Formats: sequence, structure tokens, C-alpha cells
Amino acid sequence: MHCAARQTAPVACAEMFDLGRIQKELREIERDKTSGVTVQLNGSSLQRLTGFVEGPRDTPYENGYFVVDIQLDDQYPFVPPKMRFISKVYHPNVSSANGAICLDILKDQWSPALTLKTALLSLQALLSSPEPDDPQDAVVARQYLTDHATFVRTARMWTENFAHRSQAATEDEKVTKLADMGFSRVDAIAALQSTANDENAALELLLSAA
Amino acid sequence: MGTPHDCGAYSVERMMEDMYDYDSGYSEGEEEPSSDEAGMDFLDGECTTRTHHAQPTRWLLIDAKKLLQVQEEALASVMAILGCSRSTARSLLMHFRWNTETLFGMMAERGLDDLYRAARITSRSAKTPLAPCDAAELACAACLCDVARPDATQMACGHAFCNDCWRQHLAVQISEGRSRRLVCMGVRCGAVCDEEQVRQLLAGEAALLARYERSLLESYVEDNAMTRWCPSVPHCGNAVRVDGEPHCEPECSCGVRFCFSCTEEPHSPCTCEMWKRWKVKCHDDSETKNWLTANTKACPKCGKPVEKNGGCNLVVCMCGQAFCWLCGESTGREHTWTSISGHSCGRYSEETSARVDEAQRNVKRYTHYHLRREAHMSSQKLEAPVKAKLQASIDKLEKNQSTLKDYSWLSTALEQLFHVRRILGYSYVFAFYMFGNDMFREEVTPAQNALNQNLFEDQQQQLEGEVERLSMMTEMTPDRIMEAEDALRLDVINSTVNIDTRLVRLYELLENDLLGALTLGCHYISPYKGQSQLRSGGGVHGLSTAAVGGSLEFPGLGTGAGPSGDGDPTRPASPPVQAATAAGVARAAARAVPRQTQGLGQGSTGSGHRERAALVPGSPSKRMRHDPR
Repeated sequence: MHCAARQTAPVACAEMFDLGRIQKELREIERDKTSGVTVQLNGSSLQRLTGFVEGPRDTPYENGYFVVDIQLDDQYPFVPPKMRFISKVYHPNVSSANGAICLDILKDQWSPALTLKTALLSLQALLSSPEPDDPQDAVVARQYLTDHATFVRTARMWTENFAHRSQAATEDEKVTKLADMGFSRVDAIAALQSTANDENAALELLLSAA
Repeated sequence: MGTPHDCGAYSVERMMEDMYDYDSGYSEGEEEPSSDEAGMDFLDGECTTRTHHAQPTRWLLIDAKKLLQVQEEALASVMAILGCSRSTARSLLMHFRWNTETLFGMMAERGLDDLYRAARITSRSAKTPLAPCDAAELACAACLCDVARPDATQMACGHAFCNDCWRQHLAVQISEGRSRRLVCMGVRCGAVCDEEQVRQLLAGEAALLARYERSLLESYVEDNAMTRWCPSVPHCGNAVRVDGEPHCEPECSCGVRFCFSCTEEPHSPCTCEMWKRWKVKCHDDSETKNWLTANTKACPKCGKPVEKNGGCNLVVCMCGQAFCWLCGESTGREHTWTSISGHSCGRYSEETSARVDEAQRNVKRYTHYHLRREAHMSSQKLEAPVKAKLQASIDKLEKNQSTLKDYSWLSTALEQLFHVRRILGYSYVFAFYMFGNDMFREEVTPAQNALNQNLFEDQQQQLEGEVERLSMMTEMTPDRIMEAEDALRLDVINSTVNIDTRLVRLYELLENDLLGALTLGCHYISPYKGQSQLRSGGGVHGLSTAAVGGSLEFPGLGTGAGPSGDGDPTRPASPPVQAATAAGVARAAARAVPRQTQGLGQGSTGSGHRERAALVPGSPSKRMRHDPR
């Protein structure tokens, strides 16, 4: 897995965001109920989406329901989508601080033939088979290799506490509530994250920022 | 010959002076080896040195036009041998950094298929079966649309996408600077796209296509270990390719000379690593201190800062006090440029500094070497206008005079002076690190180090002495040097040859005994190439430089004897010329005295911070008795 920095330069023949492709992708995800990944719209923009990944079975992430923030560039699908876990995940290839993901297909191995669904499925695969030799979170990776039992315990605890389906649902509820007050969903998610999901504190934060 | 000023070394023990208290060296006398023999010696030395370097370093200047040509040559050779397309050849060459030898070596060793696999090229023979072409429509996996077959393109790897998607993909890749590695859009395919197909797809996008082509062209320089862009600012657009030893200091046609290894300014004889450390060290100092230490020196008598305004290192303050520019010590009136009574300031003494603690020692060492380097660099700057002026006069005279006079001896001398100043300057940086017992602590014992330092400083001193002498001679008013009779001319020529000889010796010492003795790590310097390095064209105005190494040849004067010269029937036999040379020099010496006295008068009134400088005629000639080699 590579974590090379990607340069973003303006494209000479930059074209408008390809709505057709993303609509087709969303329809395909909608149709497939068995894969364990879904994508929701965030308001009217098709460039800011929220993905949901079910924790794979027989892993510490089982029964987890992980929320993924998805940003699509104007040049998508010719550049990879930006993905990051909103739910806290205890995993060698996911930053425990900000949810950043180290996965090659989200970086230099991206191909326009891949889709949001395949990318989310890759995230699911990553959850079941971590790559501690190419870590995003060095502390977690070290624990994974040296003290696997503790790692499993912590990962399971994090899954129960931060990625419960009901939690995702309540979180989503809170986000919707805040969004209904006129804040963008993205800001609402960020505010809830930084206030440990305290709805009132998040509202205060949003008001003070506005 | 004089060490006008053995400032290259400063030592408490004066015993060394006796050893090196040799005189003019150009005067007559049987025990004196003539410059002829010196030239021969030097040639022998040069030849043996050359054998250490398997191939002489040559460089090729590549301008915009040439770039296409040399690239095509490399491509053609690969295409001819592998029988592949231009695109494949280019991808292979990029992968092997344009080193055809490695490429062919790998092919012979591992076979063609491995070669292609390493460069991620899908050769036609190994490609996956193409998708059925009879279908009228193709489902493009990128835009998820069905497109008519003619609107889609299939790459050699077998993946097909619609042309619109290809175009967008290529646009993103090119704009992100990945023109040289445009790969297929297929999931984890990574096969390099064919050049011609890319051109066809981008046919309508002139700007992108131009960027793509330019990037491919520049790959020859940027992905090539043996080629570098000229570091000039603003960039002149040229590149330099080196064949053979990569340690050299090529000069671009824009006038910029640079070290090929690190693309910094030329810094031979100090190594790239030394120069890197030195620069960091210099930047630590405040600029003001730099300026003051570099440009002024307190007069030992009145204490006023004195700025040097001439190339010579012997200065006289407004108050009348003469002092040595290198060490700042008063030297007295008897301080002439041929002999300095009891003055030797350049040798760095371990003994005196042993008393001070380590930190202080380091500061002192640094200042010592820094000042001496700066002195030579500023001399070089101050000598530049003199050089330009003289060169202008030469050009004018050569144009106007009906009887064509040959002034190449003077041009060569000026060129030599310019380059040797730089070398001397950097030799102090070299000395700072070489003998500092820091960089090579594990490899050189203190005793060996002291011995090395002595050897080095002896040679450096001798070279410095000769350089100051030549500087002195060239600073005479242009009129006088232009109408110079044979004697003065011979003196200048002798001095030039002498400097060349000493430089070769110095470099031999550096390359073979100092750096060559080190076993850990790699320390290389650009070798001294003699005069042939200064002029790429070889012979100029009847002056021919020997093809190998740096021998100077002055036909008809007999000061040099090239390897080919022995059998030359047109050349006078050696002994008579030798005598003539010696006699000529003696005449020059005799005539030089009144002139110098006159020069003193001028010097004290105006520009001259220089002390009286004169040849000492008829003094018992003591040629260097001790050869450090």
C-alpha cells in the first residue's frame, strides 16, 4: 500500500463534474442490497457523499457499521475519490486520530474503471486483512504485531463504542437535525466529531464558527 | 623562482624556508633544470597520472536542437537491435535511464521478455487476447456508457475505453506531470500506453500534446544519470552530457561552469561533500562578518580597515605600513614579491593552536582557511578587469597590425591565472576538511595527517608563489606588456608552464596520495586537465595544446616538448633553445629592474597598494633543492 502525496494541479481541459457516471454508480449501489456497503447523499451535491461499510464477520470489526466521508473531485473518476473514516477505527492502516486511510487504490493504484462501490468493498477487505507492514498508524501497527490479543480487544471495544449500528443511526439523526437547522452536513459531522457526539456542544460550536 | 610569498603555509618552524628559499629558477646556470626539462618532467608525470583514469572525460553540450538528435540516436540504436517500436524503445530507455549498455546487458542476461516485464511494457507477443472486435458497441468501464466501436480505443494490453475517457485520463496524468509514464486505465494494469495512440487521442488538444512531447524530449536529460541541465539562472536551455568519468566541471556555452556531480559552482580540488559542508558553514556566519572578513583587513599599524584594490596580496596601507593581505601581519619595506624576509603565514600550525581549546581551535581554523580562500577569490575578481582589458588590446592589435603578432602566450597566461586563482581558493576548503581530523578521523592517523598536510602545503605554497608572480607580470600596464620584447614574453610563458606543472603535481598528490589513500566512502574530485581544459578548441592562434593532459606547447620557443614533439623536424633541437631561453630570461631580468623602480613610484601615488616588486637579477640561483615528490 502506498501513501504517496498526490499533487493536485488544474487540468488543462478540465471538464465539469461527470454527473452521469455518479448517478449510474448510485443506482447500482441502491440495487445491490447484499454487498454490505451503501452510499447516502449529503444534501444536493453529488460531490460530497457518505458511505457506510459493515464490519466483516470474524474480525474485531464484526457488527460494526462504519461511516465514511467521501469527496469527489471535479475530475472524478479520473482521479481517486477522497475517503476517510468518520467513525473511529482501531486499525493499523487507519489513523486513529483523523480516520485517514492508507490504501493503494485510493492513491496511485486508482483506476477510472473502479467505482465507489468497489472502493468501499476494498475498505471492507482492508478491515479484514490489515497490512501492518505499511501502516498509517504506527502505534496500532506495532501493537498488532507484538501484542495481538490487546489489539483485538481494543479494536473490538472501539467498534462497540464508536461504530455501533445504532450509534451510526443516532449520529446520522443528529447530523440530520443539525442539517435541518441550516448547517451543511459536512460541518455538522465535523462539529459532532470534535465534541464527542454531544449535540448541544456541536450546535454551539457551529454557531460560534458561523 | 620565487615564492613571492609563501602564504600557503604558516609555521613556527622556519626551517622549511631554507628548503624552499629558491630563487627565480629562470636564470641561467647549469644546475638549473631548464623549463624544457621541467616540461618533460611534467609530461611524464602527466602520462602516468592519465593511466589512472581509464578514459579521459569528455562532455557534450546539448542544446535544444541537439537534444532531439542525441535522443533519436539512442532510440535508433535500441530500435535497430530489438526490432521494436519507437514507443517501446523510449519506454525501455526511460526505464534504464537512457543507459543503452545496461539495457543491452540486461537483455543478454535475462532475455527480452524479462526486459519488457521490468519496464512494464506489453509486447505484442505477450498481450492478452483482444476483446472481440465484432461487437458494434463497447461498454466503457470508466464512464459506464455504451459507445460505438470506432469511438473507443484499445491499448496493447487489451483494455479498451471510450476515446473521451482516454482523453480525460491522459489530460489528468499529463497535467500532474506523469507524461513519461502514461499507463492504461485498467484496474492494476499499469501497462505503458503506446506513444502513437496517445498522439492520436490528443490530436485535438494542442497544449496537452505539446506538453507531452516536451516531457518526452526532456526525459533524455532528466532521467539520465550522465546528463544534467546547465544550472544557469535564468536557464539557458542547454544540457551537458558526460562520457566516461562523471567527475568533471563542464562549461556551458552560456558561460556557466559547474560541477557535474552536484551542479554547484565548480569547486575542484575540494570534493562535493566538502563543498556542501563548507557552504553550510559559511551561511552560519552573519553576512556583515562575511563581508568584513572577506573584503577588509585591519592595518597592523593604524588599525583602519583596508580594502584591497589590486590582485596582488602584498598591500600598503594609507599610513605607509606594508602588510601581508593573507595573514594581516606587517612585513616591512624589504618585503618584495620575490623574497619575503622571515615571513611565512599560510601554513596552519597544529602547535600554536594546541593551546587553545577545541572550539576556539575550530573557529580559528575556519577563519584561517576562509580568509585565504576569500583572498584568492577576490584576487580573481580584481584580476578580471585586467584580463578583459588586455584581451581587448590583444584583439585590437591583432586586427590592426599588418605584421601579425602572436599574442596567444598572453591570452593563455591570463586564462591560466583566472583558473588557478579559483583552484587555489578551493584548495583551502579542501585543506580545511582534509586535515581537520574530523571528516577522515577514522582513516588517517594524526601522524600521517601532519605529514600529508606538510606535503600539501608545500606544494600549495609553491603554486601560490608562482601565481603571485604571474599576477604581478600581467598587471603591468597593457601598453608595456603588449610591446614586450622576448624576455618578458618568455618570463610570462615560463610562469604559465610552471603553474601548470605545479597544478599537475598538486592534483597528483590530492588524487593519489590523499584522497586515493582513503578506503571508506567515495571521494572524487574533478581532475585537473591542464590548459586543454581551458580551451575546448585546442590550438588557438598557433598555440597548440597537447592532446593528452595539460602540457603547454609554445612552438618555436621550445618551452614545451609534447609527446609528439620529439620527432618534429621543424622544431629546433632542444639544447640551443634551452640556452636561448635562459639567455632571454636573463635579459628580461636585467631590463625589468628599472621598470619596476618606476612602477614603485606609480604605486605609492595612486592605485598601488602593491609593494615594490622586482626581479632580482644575478642573484645566486637556488633552484628548489627538495622535491616533495
